[in-house]
Amino acid sequence: MNKAFAFVRGKLSVKVSLWVVFFAAIIFNIALGWFFYQARDAVRSEAVSRATQILDKTSLRVEGILNRVEVASNMTKWLVLRHPNKADSMFVYSRGMLENNPDFYNTSIAFEPYHFKERGRYFSAYTRHIGDSIRTTQGGSESYQYFYMDWYLMPKLLDKPCWTEPYIDFDVATNTSEMVTSYCQSIKDEEGKVIGVINTSLSLNWLSQTISAVKPYPNSYSIMIGRGGTYFVHPDSTKITCQSIFTQTMEHEDTAMVALGHAMQRGEEGMKHMTVNGTDSYVFYKPLGQTGCSMAIVCPESDIFGGFDRLRRTVTIIIAVGLLLMLFFFIRIITSELKPLRRLAKEAETIASGRFDVQMPDFQRVDEIGQLSHSFAGMQQSLVKYIEELKDTTSQKASIERDLQVASSIQMGMLPEKFPTRDDRDDVQLFASLTPAKEVGGDLFDFYFRDEKLFFCIGDVSGKGVPASLFMAVTRSTFRTVSAHESMPDRIVTIMNRTIADMNKNHMFVTLFVGVLDLPTGRLHYCNAGHDAPLLVGDGVGELPCDANIPVGFMPTWKYTLQEAHIFTGTTIFLFTDGLTEAEDANHAQFQMERVNDVAENALANHQHEPRQIIERMTDAVHQFVGDAEQSDDLTMMAIQYIKQQDEEVRMRKSIVLPNDVKVVPQLTDFVTEVCETMGFDDMDTMKMNVAIEEAVVNVMNYAYPAGEHGDVTVEAVTNGMRLKFTIIDSGKPFDPTVQAAVDTTLSASERPIGGLGIHLVRQIMDSINYERINGLNVLTLRKKLNNNSI
Amino acid sequence: MKTTIQEQDGNMVAILEGRLDTAAAVETEKAMNPLNDVEGKDIIIDCTALEYISSAGLRIFLGILQNAQAKGVHVYLKGVSENVRAVFAITGFISLFEFK
Repeated sequence: MNKAFAFVRGKLSVKVSLWVVFFAAIIFNIALGWFFYQARDAVRSEAVSRATQILDKTSLRVEGILNRVEVASNMTKWLVLRHPNKADSMFVYSRGMLENNPDFYNTSIAFEPYHFKERGRYFSAYTRHIGDSIRTTQGGSESYQYFYMDWYLMPKLLDKPCWTEPYIDFDVATNTSEMVTSYCQSIKDEEGKVIGVINTSLSLNWLSQTISAVKPYPNSYSIMIGRGGTYFVHPDSTKITCQSIFTQTMEHEDTAMVALGHAMQRGEEGMKHMTVNGTDSYVFYKPLGQTGCSMAIVCPESDIFGGFDRLRRTVTIIIAVGLLLMLFFFIRIITSELKPLRRLAKEAETIASGRFDVQMPDFQRVDEIGQLSHSFAGMQQSLVKYIEELKDTTSQKASIERDLQVASSIQMGMLPEKFPTRDDRDDVQLFASLTPAKEVGGDLFDFYFRDEKLFFCIGDVSGKGVPASLFMAVTRSTFRTVSAHESMPDRIVTIMNRTIADMNKNHMFVTLFVGVLDLPTGRLHYCNAGHDAPLLVGDGVGELPCDANIPVGFMPTWKYTLQEAHIFTGTTIFLFTDGLTEAEDANHAQFQMERVNDVAENALANHQHEPRQIIERMTDAVHQFVGDAEQSDDLTMMAIQYIKQQDEEVRMRKSIVLPNDVKVVPQLTDFVTEVCETMGFDDMDTMKMNVAIEEAVVNVMNYAYPAGEHGDVTVEAVTNGMRLKFTIIDSGKPFDPTVQAAVDTTLSASERPIGGLGIHLVRQIMDSINYERINGLNVLTLRKKLNNNSI
Repeated sequence: MKTTIQEQDGNMVAILEGRLDTAAAVETEKAMNPLNDVEGKDIIIDCTALEYISSAGLRIFLGILQNAQAKGVHVYLKGVSENVRAVFAITGFISLFEFK
């Protein structure tokens, strides 16, 4: 059973067909039920009217017969009274009655004893049919004393004509008996004395046949009962006169039958539906005139509704077979119609299993299934497309993530990794840290040494992430490029600003602090483009005063201002981005400048203000403050401590003042040679030193003064035994020879430019070249470390 | 600073003596000018007696070399002292010239 349910549930065709057939069956049932109900009613009323008609006809016929008997009896009585004394005439009359009424069984005109004296005690003119002939005899005798019979006594006693109860008429002559009923009426003479009785009999058998001759249905039959309920007519002739309608009810109680019997006795007319001898039947009954008899037609229901029931059976079978055929064909049709659906389902499963390239079937149909197949094909195409896109997107995302990681390491690689400490240098030590909030960040710091100057910068690009990181990279490389040729921070920032603003289409900007620390002197030149002012941690903690310059990238024409400060030995410059002051804890409270100051003061108080120490302290403080909160912005710190000890012992100091004319170079050569001799240099070192100083001085002579203008150039040589220092000072226009581009010594002769060799030679020969503009003078310092009387 | 130019064995030979510093460069450049007209011969610069050279002198050498190379003329340096050679080395000129 469960299997069957599962099968139906899994088969749409069966399910739909079953529903359709189910509803069709309901509709057929209702319609046919109503039809059969109505038809049955019609059949019943038809049967009733038919039976009633037949009953009426039959009863009329019976009444007609009975009437005929009465009329014939009356006629004979009239004849008898015309000639009451002629005995022989009685035979004629008697015979004449039967001749005129062949359907009468017999008739007798019986007289009182000794009515005809000559005839003796008994005289009865008796006539009856024997076969086709009529026989008339004298009926009375010793053995048949008729005047004691019911039929003779009843009319006399009742004093009116009457019908007798059935009785057996025994014919002595033929020795035959017949069940008859007789109409008897007395004959009275003029005085009113009864002289005889006319008896006319009808054979009950014949009557019964006559009544039963007309049958509305093959199995229907008629009955007739007398006043007492005795059967006069019944298909079972043994019951006639022997049993009454009530006889059977004595054995088996049958109220319907009793009721019928009473109704018929009362002379009622009607129809009853009841069980007769175990058969459902309709009984139609009606009284028979004045005889006191009542007749009934019993019609078995099966007869009445026989045709109807056959029709109903046939129709029911046709419908049942039709519904089954309908179910079968529906299942077949729907199954075949749904075949494409099954195929679609299969294809869909294939697609679901990951094979998106299967060919979708084209059913060439325009109905819903065709549309579905069409939509399905469309869906598959979209699916394939989306999957491809998804693959692309996923791989792009993965590639972006890889790129981001690479970008992050590239960005970190851009930043200086090696920080000079006290062990590396005697003039400055430095430390910095950068922690981006995302993979890549917009903060930057950079530093490098050139010509005994520390170039450094710290910056913060607006925004975060990739755009900021690109901007950061641009800023950092621009810083390197520009500062290679420019030594003044204001110039560096101005040029950077112009460069960056020109290519800044996205309106980004960077706050930037650029400083150039002259290491021999501790002089700091700086330019602050909208960045947080650095702290000076040395003799107390204080901010480095900063002019209000706008950040880099906004306005290409902005002229950035230069500021200058002297950094004392031991002082640390602490630079940071706003990621430090604006570091947020879980409650979005910010670290703020006061805490930065506190940490710095604390570090100073504990003599822990060396670059690495101060940054570690600051980092710890921020971490403690922020707790588990996510880092909201890039955090960058850089600390620079100036540690140069200025107590140089001068072992030698020589100087010379020359006019700005290259013709005096031999004098310079003499001066340098003399210094070199003092230092104990050999020929080669002397020559190199000569080349370097000549190149530097000639450069100043050629460019510091405009053509034709006269001025002096002072050359001073100083040594402390560790280094030899030449200082070239002039009062010409500001001129920084150190910003010349480096010479490419790998080029071929034809590609080599004629100029630029001088400064290249200076750089190659000397350890450092440093330019300072001090008090309106150009001060160029060349240094060479000494190594046991040689360079 | 003394500059002598003479034809020797079918080559143009410039003999430089003394210190070729910035002060001497103008005069030396002038003296070496004939070398720019050399065609079909090699140029030999005899540096045996050259004590010193600065960038001004190197520029003269480079000018001669560029001029000569354009015409397919070879320029040889001869007898370059160790001191002078050091300056050539620092400037990368050592790879530009052919030394004899």
